[in-house]
Amino acid sequence: MKDTRTIIETEGLTKIYSSGKIQVVALKSVNLSIAKGSFMAVTGPSGSGKSTLLNLLGGLDTCTSGMIKALGKKISNMNKDELALYRRYEVGMIFQSFNLISARNALENVELPLLFAGVSRKERRRRALDVLDKVGLFPRRNHRPSELSGGEQQRVAIARALINFPQILLADELTGNLDSQTSRGIITVLSELNRDQGITIVMVSHEEALVREFAHEIIHFRDGEVVKKEKVR
Amino acid sequence: MRISDHIELALFNLLKRKLRTILTTLGVVVGIGALVSMISFGTGMQRNVTKSFQASELFNSITVFSEFASSQSKSEHKGREREGKERKTSNILDDKAIAAMEELKGVEAVFPEIRFPAMVRFNEREEFRLIQVIPARIAGSKLIKFRLGQPYYSDDEDSAILSDSLLKKLKVEDLTSVLGKKIEITSIAIEFKDLSAIDLPSLLEGRGLPFSKEIYKFTIKGIAERMGFEGSNPLRSEVFVPPGAAKKIKKLSFTSLWDLFRVREVGQEYSAVNVRLSSPKFVDSVQTQIEGMGFRTFALAEQFEEIKTGFIIVDMILAAVGMIAILVASLGIINTMVMSILERYSEIGVMKAVGASDKDIKKIFFFESSSIGFMGGVFGLGLGWVVSKIINQIINFFMAKQGVPFIEFFYFPWWLCLGAILFAVLVSLLSGIYPAMRAARVDPVVALRHD
Repeated sequence: MKDTRTIIETEGLTKIYSSGKIQVVALKSVNLSIAKGSFMAVTGPSGSGKSTLLNLLGGLDTCTSGMIKALGKKISNMNKDELALYRRYEVGMIFQSFNLISARNALENVELPLLFAGVSRKERRRRALDVLDKVGLFPRRNHRPSELSGGEQQRVAIARALINFPQILLADELTGNLDSQTSRGIITVLSELNRDQGITIVMVSHEEALVREFAHEIIHFRDGEVVKKEKVR
Repeated sequence: MRISDHIELALFNLLKRKLRTILTTLGVVVGIGALVSMISFGTGMQRNVTKSFQASELFNSITVFSEFASSQSKSEHKGREREGKERKTSNILDDKAIAAMEELKGVEAVFPEIRFPAMVRFNEREEFRLIQVIPARIAGSKLIKFRLGQPYYSDDEDSAILSDSLLKKLKVEDLTSVLGKKIEITSIAIEFKDLSAIDLPSLLEGRGLPFSKEIYKFTIKGIAERMGFEGSNPLRSEVFVPPGAAKKIKKLSFTSLWDLFRVREVGQEYSAVNVRLSSPKFVDSVQTQIEGMGFRTFALAEQFEEIKTGFIIVDMILAAVGMIAILVASLGIINTMVMSILERYSEIGVMKAVGASDKDIKKIFFFESSSIGFMGGVFGLGLGWVVSKIINQIINFFMAKQGVPFIEFFYFPWWLCLGAILFAVLVSLLSGIYPAMRAARVDPVVALRHD
């Protein structure tokens, strides 16, 4: 019997990239079950399919075959508009290169998802300031990304991912561009969100030692396949 | 996304690249400016012609021809008159027919086309002219433009209206001085009692014509501006007299040689009659009713529709020239928008990652291109207006030297102003289709890796 607390589930998840006659298998029949409120780390060498998995779970990409179910909905069957709504309201994503809009300040970057949700300007501002305060960046709200440190930029990205109260947070190598101390600080923020707000976190990282300190479960990837599942705590 | 957010976002993105936005918008400004000034010129010309026609109340008249006269005048009007129903023998263009026409709804006055040759004598000088008989109510209408004096108010007055050009010919320097003075009109008439068809051969040779000369005196009551002898104005003369007074004048009652013989067959029949209407809206109904009586008709209002079609064609040609500039401007917009996509590739990926749908992305680009169009439309309209004002002043400066009064060659009706802006937005929207589709197709996975 399946766990009723499962928030993300995949069955035979396969992703093949085609470029002319060349085909690259990024994911090979991956079966996963992620419990609600868990903190899962996905590790493995470069090109093992970690980021592809995250893109599929985040609804940024579509699978070649198999099934993905998140929050009870089959996202592998969703059309483009439904996927956009899923990304907008159900899931938050954080990236290694922060992906902030350089022409906009921290506050405006955090507000961005609310713009597409049709939230009023006043409400957008209120919520963005609130979430920036939670990640400790209220005083830096009017600074542009170029005026912020890497750690601060990643905090802005976390704030942006949290603005629509998602139940799932997907982090792709979010410490890749940060020093070890800042990396620890950022993962601590995620850990607190997981602990205090019950947000399910799936974090891709190849810094196994670091994630081992925080994650509940670690999944090891190699050549697009799950080679090991490990319960840490 | 809210519309206000779309507008704000569009302006934010456009202002990020000020110079490029200004240059692209300038393309639209020039295009719309050219288009607007071209169309306003066409519209202005049409307006001027319509206004002058309306001011002279030419649309309020119908000319009615008897079948006999029209068979000759047909070639004159190049077939523009409408064929009446088959002529009934009883339908003769005489006083009875005039009385019947006067009864029709919308008819203000009916007066026969009577002109007779006479010698006009004033100031010891003589000029030969065709004198036209018009009733007092027509003399007082806008068909005659008075320079001085006033129209006669009764059909029986021994008064006349003279044109300023005739008075000039008669060497009158001070026009005011002639008002109230008498002119002599010397008419020639045929004594019909002495005429028979047997006399035709000698008559054609100019021998044995039973002419008589009579002199009549008329008071100059008004001085009119020169009336053209060409065109469709029912009043084409330089001397006008009322019908009551004209009846007393012995004159040739025909306007063509054919009338000379017909006058004895059918009694007094006019070759043409002018019908004046209270409003141009009655033209169609009155024309149909008169044709029903068996006469042929000619109305300028009807002919004006053809002129209008001509103006539409001219407008279209002018607009086509302006469209070339718009086409170039639209290529500029496409270029700017495509460049913008390439620059904002990862930004589009971020927007998609945080929940923007393809539709949202398309809208963002459509709002940007239409903002360029709107600004280009507004400023283009302004440019067109300024340029046309300058051209108008220059043309009028040179025309004033030749004594031509000021003419507004360009006209900006509300529909042109509004249409120019809407058209600019529409063209920009169309130009934005390809860039918007391309932006919507951006793969967020690739775009986020773009950095």
